Amino acid sequence: MEEYLEIVEGDKKEHELMLFALSTCGWCRKARNFLDGNSFAYRYVYVDLLEGDAQKEVFEEVKRRNPRKTFPTLVVDDDEVIAGFNEDRYSEALL
Amino acid sequence: MNEEYSQEVLDLYEKLNEQAESYGYHLNPDKETTLFLVDGLYRNGERYGYMLCPCRMGEGDRDKDLDIICPCDYRDADLEEFDQCY
Repeated sequence: MEEYLEIVEGDKKEHELMLFALSTCGWCRKARNFLDGNSFAYRYVYVDLLEGDAQKEVFEEVKRRNPRKTFPTLVVDDDEVIAGFNEDRYSEALL
Repeated sequence: MNEEYSQEVLDLYEKLNEQAESYGYHLNPDKETTLFLVDGLYRNGERYGYMLCPCRMGEGDRDKDLDIICPCDYRDADLEEFDQCY
C-alpha cells in the first residue's frame, strides 16, 4: 500500500496525513489545495489512476477506513478519518 | 485559476444546468468547482461509458455501478445532510 502513495513535502509535520483521492473529484482537489495552501506534509494517492491489483488493494484500504467509500478520505495519525472535504472540519482537526 | 475546458465539457455543463433547474435542483454557483466536477463526469463517461460520480470509485461494470451514476442514489441524503452532494 505504502508504495502507491505520493509524498508531498511541507513545513507542518505534526500529523501524519494520508489522503485517498480521485483525480476526477473536485472535492479531492479542494482538499489538496487546503493541505498545500497550509503547507502540510502529507501523502496521497489517486485511486482511480491505479490499475488492477494495486487499485483493488488501495480501495480495500479505503473501504476499511471509510465504509461509505466517499472521496476524499483523509486519515489523520492512522486513526481519525475525515470523509469528504469540509474546510471547517479540516481546520478543526489540523490547525 | 484559469483552466481550459473542452467545448464538450462546457456543453455538458449547460445541459446539466438545464436538467438540474428543471427538476428544482441547482448546480453549485462556484462555477470553477462545478466545471471541474463536470469535467470529471465527462472523463468518466469516456472512461466507463456512463457518467459515474467523479467523487466515487466504480467497479467498471454499469450494473454494479448503477447506484453511483450521476445523479446518484445518495444525492438527496447528501443534500439533506451537507447541503451539497459529494
